[in-house]
Amino acid sequence: MMGAKESFKDIVDMLAELKDTSELMLDLAYSSIFLNNKELAQDVATLEEYMDDLHTKFELLVLTRCITPEDSKDYLGLIRLGVVTEKIADAAMQIAGVVLRGLEPHPVLRLAIKEAEETVVHAQVSKKSPLAGKSLKEAQVHEETGMWVLSIKRGDKWVRPKPDTVIEAGDHLIVSGYAEGVDDLKRLVNSEKRMK
Amino acid sequence: MAKIGKIKYKPVSVRDLITEMKDLSELMIDLAYFAALFNSRPLAEEVIEMERRVDDLAYRLDMSAMIAARDPKDAESLVAVSVVASAADKISDAAGDIAAIVLKEIGVHPIVREAFEKVEERLTRVEIQKGSVWANKSLRDLELSAKMGVDIIAIRRNTDFIINPEKDELVLAGDVVIARGAPMGIEEFERLAGRTVQTAGS
Repeated sequence: MMGAKESFKDIVDMLAELKDTSELMLDLAYSSIFLNNKELAQDVATLEEYMDDLHTKFELLVLTRCITPEDSKDYLGLIRLGVVTEKIADAAMQIAGVVLRGLEPHPVLRLAIKEAEETVVHAQVSKKSPLAGKSLKEAQVHEETGMWVLSIKRGDKWVRPKPDTVIEAGDHLIVSGYAEGVDDLKRLVNSEKRMK
Repeated sequence: MAKIGKIKYKPVSVRDLITEMKDLSELMIDLAYFAALFNSRPLAEEVIEMERRVDDLAYRLDMSAMIAARDPKDAESLVAVSVVASAADKISDAAGDIAAIVLKEIGVHPIVREAFEKVEERLTRVEIQKGSVWANKSLRDLELSAKMGVDIIAIRRNTDFIINPEKDELVLAGDVVIARGAPMGIEEFERLAGRTVQTAGS
């Protein structure tokens, strides 16, 4: 017999991924408005599809459990949280939709978002980059550039950045931080294997 | 059933409205997840209070935006504001849904707490009583950040919210103060917030 804890683990992990993805989408969506950047808005749209699939998988996974009446409330709580992440993702998509439709964001939106000093950039990791093959912990992107890796896009997949996630050549890093770090970042993802 | 109040146009700028909606909706998500993970009814109730506020703001924003539009170009750029505002409203509804998990006593299994990040952080809300030693003091004077590592993230005064209050903001009797910090700091914060001039002793 599986205890409640083991039978929950995979479901809860997937829920955590749904939550993280929905929050990433919201960050990207506001940034896309702030920077009036279609590429970021398009990322939100891609993530939205990813979210839809993930949410369906999540709900199916919950339904595979033979739930006893005593457990039913625990699972209902999880299902409700899953629905919430989906709603947040939809809201993020709505925000990104403004940019994708080519509507010039009104200046008050920039003021409301007020991330004046922060920026979000895409950077593809070249084969020559010292980052390729390193885990995020080893890569020390923050130490080198002052910027944080928000997410990693690998082909059609989105990878949650964890300390032991290994960066591969060809990965697109979505990175946020102060604009001063962007040059360092570009150097890092493209340069030959020489780091200070 | 929650009571829905009457709403009338007030001359408030679109900028103030959208800023408050965005800030509140994001704060609500944080509070709501926290309320669900730690099964906190007072915080869940605070989220519901905020949801009502955001609903009102949404109406006001639409009214202000309608008045602000003078030509097709205005309309195009203001519709973007209105769409973002409605997204913030959706987010606040989503936060309300999380709060309902607590208020309807459905609950969230403790295992979920382990899987979510920021577990080291605690949130709390305290009401400043009449005669509290904190009443009429500014946040700067209270020095909560330096003394116990606690940050005030919002103050509710009746139905108004002051989000990320400035250091010179005064805490008044009757205010609901929402704070964030490490578990130890938050415990101390809750203890000290309850003191009144009579109980404080020396």
